[in-house]
This record gives sequence, structure tokens and C-alpha cells, in this order.
Amino acid sequence: MDRNIQLKNDLMRELEETRRQLYEAKETIEAIRTGQVDALVVQKGDTHQLYTLKTADHTYRVFIEKMTEGALTLNQQGIILYANSRFGEMIGMPVSAIIGLPFEQFIAKDNLSFYKTLFTTSWAGDCKGEVTLHYNESHTSVQLSLTVLELDEGLSLSIIITDLTLQKTTQRKLEENNRQLELLNHTLENSNHDLQQFASVASHDLQEPLRKIQMFSNLLKKKVTGILGEEDIAYLEKIIGSTERMKTLIVDILNYSRLSADNGEFITADLNEVLKELLEDFELMIADKQGKIIYKDLPTLEVNRGQMRQVFQNLISNSLKFSKEGIAPVIKIKAKLIKEKSITGEENINGEYCLLTFEDNGIGFDEKYANTIFSLFQRLHPKDSFEGTGIGLSITKKIIEKHQGLIQAKSTPGIGTMFMMVLPLKQMTNGQL
Amino acid sequence: MASSDNIIKKILLAEDDPDDVSFFFQYLGERPDLILLPPVENGEEVFDYLEKAHNGSFPDLIILDQNMPKCNGLQTLAILKNNTAYENIPVFLYSTYTDAYLVKQSIQLGARSVLEKPVSVEGYHKMINDILRLI
Repeated sequence: MDRNIQLKNDLMRELEETRRQLYEAKETIEAIRTGQVDALVVQKGDTHQLYTLKTADHTYRVFIEKMTEGALTLNQQGIILYANSRFGEMIGMPVSAIIGLPFEQFIAKDNLSFYKTLFTTSWAGDCKGEVTLHYNESHTSVQLSLTVLELDEGLSLSIIITDLTLQKTTQRKLEENNRQLELLNHTLENSNHDLQQFASVASHDLQEPLRKIQMFSNLLKKKVTGILGEEDIAYLEKIIGSTERMKTLIVDILNYSRLSADNGEFITADLNEVLKELLEDFELMIADKQGKIIYKDLPTLEVNRGQMRQVFQNLISNSLKFSKEGIAPVIKIKAKLIKEKSITGEENINGEYCLLTFEDNGIGFDEKYANTIFSLFQRLHPKDSFEGTGIGLSITKKIIEKHQGLIQAKSTPGIGTMFMMVLPLKQMTNGQL
Repeated sequence: MASSDNIIKKILLAEDDPDDVSFFFQYLGERPDLILLPPVENGEEVFDYLEKAHNGSFPDLIILDQNMPKCNGLQTLAILKNNTAYENIPVFLYSTYTDAYLVKQSIQLGARSVLEKPVSVEGYHKMINDILRLI
């Protein structure tokens, strides 16, 4: 029995000790929770160990001191109870001098009534607003975020102050850029309008007097033939020839400038048909030169039909014009489907592009001019040996580019010229890329 | 229309340019197959002329210059074709410069054809011959 009593007493002591430890632990937790202790001494075996506490409160205090926003606590009268050092920097005052002052002292006059509204509203619920801080001649644009805090001492208001200077500067820059963009756009629209005006002037106002010169020169020539000498008549003929040239030039420039404005629709067209129609119109000129045009199996593409016809016409008339004396011009037109948008693209029956070639047996030109021939008014031959304005190939290139295509020329003097074009079978966005 | 080939045609020209009026009358005035009515200067005058003309004495065809003050060629054409009294008179437009837009608009509005102004005497005769073939 003694043994049982002994065991019971041991257990009771152990229970007592456990209860005491539990009570101590509870006390410690409470002390930690309420922030009453800064350090704990804990017995571990024979030694004591000291644990200092970094309380949650402390963490937040560091956090608030180091953050980039200003932070304030106000009482219900709007007096500053607490300010972080960032707010002190914003105002340019030591924190110690700020505490005890009414916050509205730092609000710019224009914003004061707005701030008062914010302040009043905030007691009913969180709110935000932009104001300007004003102190010592310096103005800072800020955003205020107001939140009510329930502390032991009663209600107070916390305000987070975000400096908007950088944001405002960025916004101002953006606005300035937008304004400049608008201005540029306006200038562009104006110059576009001027160009259209020019086209209209060129089409009528320039051509009317020109036609009169043509008309009266023709009349004069009729009247004075047989009266004036051969040399005089030759002068008149030069006037007539020049006016004809000028007329062609004006019409060509007009066509070129209209290409930019023309966003005509792309339609699916059989290039064999386009070419056939064109050849009918060119019949006389081709027969005159005893020319031969060979083509077969051209593809069906999405094109601006009128423009594609213009391309064919320009290339064919070029070949006929620059044919070799005494040799009948032969123009071979071929096409194949290719895989990618490249002049040297690999043939592929399922390709999405078409390589179109126009090859002639004409006089050709030096390869070094292969790029310049597409420039406006670029001519390789003197005016009296070949007629033309030097606009035809520029128009051709512009049309091909409007079709999202490529064009290149290859030539050997005395052998002939080949024009190579790559065109997509389908136009992705109806020409507006 | 072979039977009408021999009938003399009355032509009304609307043209504001005195040189062009003079070319027209000088080169075409001697043709026995044409009667050139007194020219008018713009679209409004075309209507004045037609209103005064007794029914049946309308011109056989009207040639309108496109570029005229007050009421240009296309505007005049549109009004003519919207008036039941005048809609059957064949109308032709002519201009120094003809582009696809002018041609399309004119044909849509009911013009028989659009012609480019000639630059020679032969050109005037050819233009009138083309017109006579079309009516």
C-alpha cells in the first residue's frame, strides 16, 4: 500500500508542477500578446536563456518608417499624432516638429475644402483623394488614403500619402507626346490634302492651257504650211511634240499620285483573262512591231484588277519599246507557285505565293541600273531615242508593293531583260497592312 | 437607226470657255448634217433654254462641258435625267481630262458617252462622228 501512496503523491506533485508551468506559459503568451514584455528568460536544463522579442508591432513600425509612402495618424480633430520620417521628407520638416500640428496646415489652399470633405467622409468609411501638399513654397501632388483605426485610446485616422510627382510627370510627358503626335498627324493630313489638291490642279487647270497650246499650234501649222519655210514648220512641230509629251507626263504623274489614295478592292482574277483583254487592246502596237507574246497557265490571284492590268501594260509596252532594231520582240510570260515570299523562292504546288516573270529579247540594260530603273523619272536612254516619261516602272513597283509583293529586274545588254514579281495568292487584310 | 442617218441633227453645246465655243462653231459650223444651236455657258442656261423651247423643238443631243461654273456637267446631267420631259435627250460629256471616276459617274447618271476634248480640227470631226454614231 505504501508504494501506492508514494505513487499517488508523486503524481499529485507532477500535476501541480504541470499546472504551474501551464499558468506560466499562459502568462507569457498574454504578456507577449499585449506587448508587455521585451524579453523572456527561459530555463533550459541548468542554464537560463534570454529571448528578446521582436513584436509584430515593431515589425510594422520599421515597415512604416522605411516605406516610400508617407504615413500619418490623426485624432478626431485632425491633429497629427504620429508621422513617419518619409512624410517629414515630403514636407521638409523634422518629424518631431510635425507632431501636434493640424494636418490641414500642409494642404494647398485650393484643395482645403476638398480635404475637409475627405476628412469628414473618412470617419464613415475608407476613402481616397488627390490633393496638393504645400509647405515652404514647394508643392507636391499626392494621393491620400484615409482609414479609421480603433485604438485603445479611441478612434483615430490613418492616412497613407503617395507622392504623385513621378506619375504626374509621366502623365504630362504622355500628354505632351500625344499632343505632338496629334500635331504631326494634322500636318500629315494637311500635306495629304495638298497632294490631292495638286492632283486636281494637275488634272484640270494645268491641262486646259496645255490643250489650248496644242490646239492653236495645230491650227497655226495648218495655216502656215506652204507659206513658212521647212525650218519654221519644224519648230512648230517641236512645240506640238513637246506639248504632247507634257500631256503624257501630267497624266502619268496623276496616275502615280492617285495610286496612294486608291484603296480599290481586291478581287479574285484569272491573270490569263487580264492578259488576254490587254493584248486585244494592244493588238495594233504589237502587230506594228511584229511582236510575239507567249504565255500559258497563269494563276488566279486576289488582285486589284485595274492595277494588275496596268502592271502588265507597263511591262509589255516597255519590252516593245526597248526591242532590238530589226529583231521581232518576243515576250515570254511565265508563272509558278512558290513556298515563300522571295524572288528565289522554291517551287511548291501548294505555295501561297506566285512568281511571275516577264522575259524579253530586247536591248537590255547594264545590271548596275537594276534598282534605279524603278525610281521616279529615271530614264536610261535619251529622250529622242525612246519616248516615255520614266514613270511607268515606278507605278509598276508601287502597284506590286500595294499587293504585298516584290519586284526585281535582271538584264544583260544586247540579250534581254527579265522582270520577276512575287505576289501572294490571297491578300491578307484587303491591302491595309 | 439607219433611217435617221440622213436627218440633220440639232446640237446644244454647254461650254463656258470662249475659245472652245469658237473651235466648235468654226470647225463644225459648215457641216451640212448639223445645226448648232446658240451655245449656253452652264447647266442653268441649259434648263433656261429647254424651258423656252416648245415641245418637239428640243435639241437632238446635248454636249456638256464637265468643268463649268454654277452647274457643272455631272450636276446638269443628273438633273436632266431626273426630269421626264428631258430624260430622252441623248447627253454627252466632254472634258479636257477624263478619268475613270468621271466616266463611271457619267455613265451611271445616264450619259451616252464621255469624250476627251479634241486638240485638232480632225479631232473635232472625229468626236462628232463618234457621237452621231452613238445616238
